[in-house]
Amino acid sequence: MSKGTKQRTAAKRIVEQQKAAEKRRTVTIWTTVAVVAALVLAGLIGWGVVSSQRSDTASAAVPSGTVDEGTAFAVGGGPVMVDVYEDFMCPICNEFEKQSGATLQQLISANKVTVRYHPIAILDDKSNGTKYSTRAAGAAAAAAEGGKFQQYHQALFDNQPAEGSDGLDNAKLVELGTSAGLGDAFATAVNDGKYDGWAGKVTDEASKRGVTGTPTVLVNGKQLRNPTPDALTSAVG
Amino acid sequence: MTETAQRVAAWPWISTVARLGLAAVWLIAGGLKVGDLAASGRAVNAYRLMPFEAAQVVGAVQPLVEIALGLLLLIGLSVRLTAVLSALLLVVFIAGIVSAWARGLQIDCGCFSKGGDLGAGQSPAYGWEVTRDVGFLALAGLLVWRPRTRFSLDGLLMRGRDE
Repeated sequence: MSKGTKQRTAAKRIVEQQKAAEKRRTVTIWTTVAVVAALVLAGLIGWGVVSSQRSDTASAAVPSGTVDEGTAFAVGGGPVMVDVYEDFMCPICNEFEKQSGATLQQLISANKVTVRYHPIAILDDKSNGTKYSTRAAGAAAAAAEGGKFQQYHQALFDNQPAEGSDGLDNAKLVELGTSAGLGDAFATAVNDGKYDGWAGKVTDEASKRGVTGTPTVLVNGKQLRNPTPDALTSAVG
Repeated sequence: MTETAQRVAAWPWISTVARLGLAAVWLIAGGLKVGDLAASGRAVNAYRLMPFEAAQVVGAVQPLVEIALGLLLLIGLSVRLTAVLSALLLVVFIAGIVSAWARGLQIDCGCFSKGGDLGAGQSPAYGWEVTRDVGFLALAGLLVWRPRTRFSLDGLLMRGRDE
């Protein structure tokens, strides 16, 4: 090989290397841009969902007769405040009702406590997309407006569907209300999901207060970790 | 082929397994939470690290970012960058779990579920959760170190450079 050919080959190789390096740079820049764009887009979608949820809960219809900043229904008129956060789909809530419901009822009858029931919806993903927790909480609000909160609350736990099932359909929710003596206004509210937005609002408010599981029971603002009948009675004093 | 050359040739395959594994982690983690973003926000709020309003936003954005990272890793676009971002995210998650542990909170981490408080009688699995996330962090670290993988968009776009 002549000296000239050698030099030409070397020069060609350098040019090729530079071209390859430039291509790598261009590819890196554009792939980086693509990654950042994809992540920003994902973030914006999330933000959009939050904004729409917020405007939904902000404009939600609040049922009449609520207490505690519109988040609960009160039963009884005693001096000691008992707050109960329940999800109608939650099996442990049902156990709590079976175990301690009678005790609460006695305390209410003896005019010792006011029980504030907060129907929240944290198990919406346990009903195959039918959002039973939200629908049940909304129906309970409609029952409260018809003056039958306690009876309806009881009926929902007595007829509690299994976690992971579709939950009770609206027809069944209406039927339970009719049996408790509720009328057409109740049926319409359930079928229209009138208070479903309110259920979301109550759930958000509960989360804001640090309630992250159900049942959460507080006596005069202090959480009872294990709300057995004895624990309730002694906490109420 | 010499032994060294063989070892070099094996790396892209090892990295490919790591890349697809990490992609699966993000897609599953994000996929399980994306159906109920409000619940995801409550899970973030359960860590009690930020105001509820901020937790709501973080909780909604997080599953979508996880899915986006999973898809990017799956197609192999800008693997080193996505691996760095994955590692950063995992460090944040591990820090969050450790802080919940240190403060004695009784919560589910919400890593592959919607999280929240644990019921009576359930105990948190912080040790296992941290170990698992450290394992994922190792996958991300491997990809930061050796980002060249098979069947990647990066490889397709870079074609022509001598591999």
